[in-house]
Amino acid sequence: MTQLFINDQEVDVTPGTSILEACRQNDVDVPYFCYHPELSVAANCRMCLVEVEGWGKPAASCCTPVSEGMKVKTQSETLAKDREMMMEYLLIHHPLDCPVCDQGGSCKLQDYTVEHGASKGRYSEPKRAVINYELGPFVNTCMTRCIHCTRCVRFADEVAGTGDIGVLNRSDHMTIAGIVEGALSSELSGNLPDICPVGALLDKPSHDVSRPWEMTSHSSTCIQCPNGCDISIESRGDQVMRIVPVDGSPEPWICDRGRYVYDAFRSDNRILSPMVRQDGALQSVDWSDAFDRTIDLLKDKKVGILFSSQWSVEGHVAISLMRDALFPDAKVAFDLHRRDMRPFAFEEGLAMTTSQIEAADQVVILGSDLRQRLPLLMQRLRKRGRAGKPVSRIGAMNYRTNMEIGRDALIRPRDWHGVIARAMEQVSELGKTAAGFDAWLGAVSDRHEAGKILADALISDSCALLVGEEIRSHEDAASLIHGVDLLMRACGHAEAGNDGRNLIPEGVNAQVLSAVFADARVSAGDIFAAASAGELDALILIGSDPVGDGLFPSAAKAALQKVPLVQIGSISGEMADYADVQLPAAAYSEIEGTFVNMEGRVRVATNPIKSLGQERPLWKVMMRLIQVMGAEVPVVSLDELRSAVCQHLSALSDAWCVSNQDSALIAPNRNRDAAALPKARTDSFELDVVSRYSMYREGMWARASALLTEAGELNALDDVLVHPDTLAAKGLSAGELVVKSFLGEQCFNIGVREDVTPGVLFIAKRGVAGDLSDVTAASIDGGAV
Amino acid sequence: MTISSDPKQVTQICFDRINIPNQNKLSVARENGAYEFLPTVLNDFDSAKIINEVKTSGIRGRGGAGFPTGLKWSFVPRNTGKPTYLLCNADEGEPGTFKDRDIMRFDPHLLIEGMIMAGFALDVRDAYIYIRGEFLHEANVLNEAIAEAYAANLLGENILGSGYSMNLTVHRGAGAYVCGEETALIESLEGKPGRPRFKPPFPAVEGFYRCPTVVNNVETLATVPAILKFGGEWHASIGIPNNTGCKIFSVSGHVNKPGNYEVPMGTSLKTLIEDYCGGLQHGSVPKVIIPGGSSTPWLTAEHYDTPLTYDDLMKAGSFLGSGAIIVMDETADLVALTRRLAHFYAHESCGQCTPCREGTGWLERVMKRVEGGKGCAGDVTVLKDASEHMAGRTICALAEGAAAPVLSLLKHFPEDVQTRLAESSK
Repeated sequence: MTQLFINDQEVDVTPGTSILEACRQNDVDVPYFCYHPELSVAANCRMCLVEVEGWGKPAASCCTPVSEGMKVKTQSETLAKDREMMMEYLLIHHPLDCPVCDQGGSCKLQDYTVEHGASKGRYSEPKRAVINYELGPFVNTCMTRCIHCTRCVRFADEVAGTGDIGVLNRSDHMTIAGIVEGALSSELSGNLPDICPVGALLDKPSHDVSRPWEMTSHSSTCIQCPNGCDISIESRGDQVMRIVPVDGSPEPWICDRGRYVYDAFRSDNRILSPMVRQDGALQSVDWSDAFDRTIDLLKDKKVGILFSSQWSVEGHVAISLMRDALFPDAKVAFDLHRRDMRPFAFEEGLAMTTSQIEAADQVVILGSDLRQRLPLLMQRLRKRGRAGKPVSRIGAMNYRTNMEIGRDALIRPRDWHGVIARAMEQVSELGKTAAGFDAWLGAVSDRHEAGKILADALISDSCALLVGEEIRSHEDAASLIHGVDLLMRACGHAEAGNDGRNLIPEGVNAQVLSAVFADARVSAGDIFAAASAGELDALILIGSDPVGDGLFPSAAKAALQKVPLVQIGSISGEMADYADVQLPAAAYSEIEGTFVNMEGRVRVATNPIKSLGQERPLWKVMMRLIQVMGAEVPVVSLDELRSAVCQHLSALSDAWCVSNQDSALIAPNRNRDAAALPKARTDSFELDVVSRYSMYREGMWARASALLTEAGELNALDDVLVHPDTLAAKGLSAGELVVKSFLGEQCFNIGVREDVTPGVLFIAKRGVAGDLSDVTAASIDGGAV
Repeated sequence: MTISSDPKQVTQICFDRINIPNQNKLSVARENGAYEFLPTVLNDFDSAKIINEVKTSGIRGRGGAGFPTGLKWSFVPRNTGKPTYLLCNADEGEPGTFKDRDIMRFDPHLLIEGMIMAGFALDVRDAYIYIRGEFLHEANVLNEAIAEAYAANLLGENILGSGYSMNLTVHRGAGAYVCGEETALIESLEGKPGRPRFKPPFPAVEGFYRCPTVVNNVETLATVPAILKFGGEWHASIGIPNNTGCKIFSVSGHVNKPGNYEVPMGTSLKTLIEDYCGGLQHGSVPKVIIPGGSSTPWLTAEHYDTPLTYDDLMKAGSFLGSGAIIVMDETADLVALTRRLAHFYAHESCGQCTPCREGTGWLERVMKRVEGGKGCAGDVTVLKDASEHMAGRTICALAEGAAAPVLSLLKHFPEDVQTRLAESSK
């Protein structure tokens, strides 16, 4: 430790710490603009000057490392004058438009002007005006306000990895600008207004809408991806105005999906009152009328229950209580993204925290578009890459990552068995093996060279496998995961404390869901099949849209046309076309509730926003449903409900009591006995089908958001993509082509792209080509019919 | 070489062969002693001996900062697993300086030989000359000389059979003054905008591509062959202690014979101007002397006798800098001079640090107003505050240079400013 004196106070800090960080760690206030704890040091604002005894001139504290015995002063008359002058320099060209600037009230420049500036500037020469530039749908620029701290430039380089913001010109002609027109193709772009210390970069969608001091902040958890970021939902009255990241949470940023979904909260797509279909259209009714209709549809009927993982743990347990009370034999499905329902050797959830993944010796991504699915984990991997640590990847597409991927292999989903088998052989040669290797290897005849990438990484001391959707939604997922599990066991990456088996879940609460629903869980496809076959009388859909999302859109459509639908949720969406009754449940901004993220981190939201309409927390809707259907209501308060939760999950009772929630992690399930062996394929289609996940389109919330929809259009790819060789082999070229699959013959606009594996049919766009998601194999047969 | 081995006889080192016609051709240069001593250095000297000789010689960097060269070389960490780079700073952007240009265009082989020796001492595989963009002719001359040196196995693989290999490349700048600052030069050479880096880390540890790097001025490197040939002690005996050797001064302004003059360190300002430069155009004493390039604080007649050494000029309140002496006699309009310099710095500020980016432009605009007869009483305080709080508050020294003329004007010639302000209020 290095000992130094800050304002005569003795402090100890890690050697190499900067003076500014030493001050921050010891709650000594030093003003700064360009410094940001998550970004590299630029040392250009010169606001953080301090005095060091024996030095002839003031030192910029952000870029000066501490040294033993150093005597630092952060307050003095000369420093006060220096800071006053820095403010005067900065304000020379800064417009005096605070009253109309969105940053006003939460602006560093404004605050420091009051704190350190002179009451009047002396600059009487002409002011500079700067041309604005286009930074995509989420970021508004007003570059005359820019103070050139370059935080945004460093963010684009270091965090987003896009590197598309730069500095042009020099002297006071210096400007920050997008290097290319329409720059900022980043899924993290919404963080730019947050890191801009002034009003140069502002949130575009909420521009000129509200002032910081009108907002109330509600701490909550983002449910838009399994990362479950801490968020602060800012509201004016009962309206959600903005969503921003929370200082000091594990991730300092949030992604555009989690942030700009906010307009969905006040969109027409919300279900704000009970609705009943009358004369072909949904009509607003009161709760008792809606329940009367519900009773007609559900009482003494055979139902299938389908719900989204986006509800709180309390909501999920309430669903389970409702099922137990009303439909004890009903099957439930909460996973629209899993075809193989056999138990997985390691179930959904991460064994490691994201910071452990960042620090591991090796990281291998197996079949996941991480940048779209988990932008913040991707950002961690980028950080790791900058520190010189390798990231390898095997998958069906060369998904854009904005980072250097060390070793990369393109494979088809049908090649996974061969990849794992090849890796097994390689580690066996090194004497690493596990019981079950031989049986698994014996069932696979193919070997794929990509397995070498996997095996090489497994030899390291710590190896984090990020097993993604390509494996999770594989028809033979259980055997693949069993194979990977054997590999990890053989190489010592499956022990407690060094468990690298991370299966990326589809949504939050994955660890909790499998514990709560255990045997009742079936594939969503099974429920649709049962409905279509006339085995069910009705479907209950709780916050889920199986036509817009998931792997069963065609089956879902068929089922929904056959049986009546009771829709319960916050967002109406496309399901409104099918619903006979809609019961409004509160949005995640409006509830007290608990969420578990993919790492097992528990977050409890405690200060919800007032309901916008007649919606009630899901657990209350469930209890009311039980009551009107004539069964005994199991719980009548949140406390009672939480006691019921603890019966399933004792770990949560700790989380509700302890203050440091980060330390209590809920581990994902392990099924030691799961030993599924590889199955041979039976179809003869030559192409494998892979669905693209788009962060701007996936999920009811995202589709209800006009902002995300706009971004989705900007980021859209062709409907269906294949490698040019795939078409060339058939003598075809891009355009309208016929695709044959179990669904029959359909015509799609097929584009080509080099970064798709040859032999893969990549469904890039939902809606148009989404129906193909039902199948795993297809073939292209020729031009338009 | 015609340089005397007796230090008392030496008056010139770098300019020793400067007047020989076609000295830029390898054959002519070799006839006159170029590369004569190089085989001895490559075969009989080792790194430690060379660095030691350079340390003993007492030579201080000729680019402006005056940092002891031997010491700089000894800071380079060895066996880091990374390559070490040698960069020659030939950016020569400091207004008033034009000495390196003459070395490069008239005697490029002297520089090349110095770089091979320095490279050998520092175990350098790749060396670069970063030359000012405007020096197109000089870059061409250098490139021809380098091509000849490669052809004669003085550069490239296994130089003269010694087992040492070094590549030398000329890189032309793009006209930014700030790229004369060594870390901005490194950034620029890496292909980025020329903006100085903050230190630490220093270039010796993390320089070009974050590898150990030595950046030396042309004149410094051109002195190395003589130091190694005649020995460090020999060089240390020229000039005066702590300010050893000869120094080229680029004299410009109101003198009768402006130009480059190499003299032993310690020669007085007055001697240089009167004996070498043919005296002043008007009057007997200069009004202002800017002794080390436009960034250095001004001296006035009271310091006319100051010996030209790093130490004496510092005692007088200024710096030896790059040795560019700008002389102004009684006819000079100092307000106009200051405004012109303020314009230069406002144009050349790289823009990254707040005080320099905003302050240089502010100074220029106020000076323009004052010069144009539109000044007001408050301008003096504004000029003083705006310059004082730039200097020493930024990553590099450009702001200090920008502040120097304004502060010098206000300090030494407040009446010139007041007269202008008085005219304004009429």
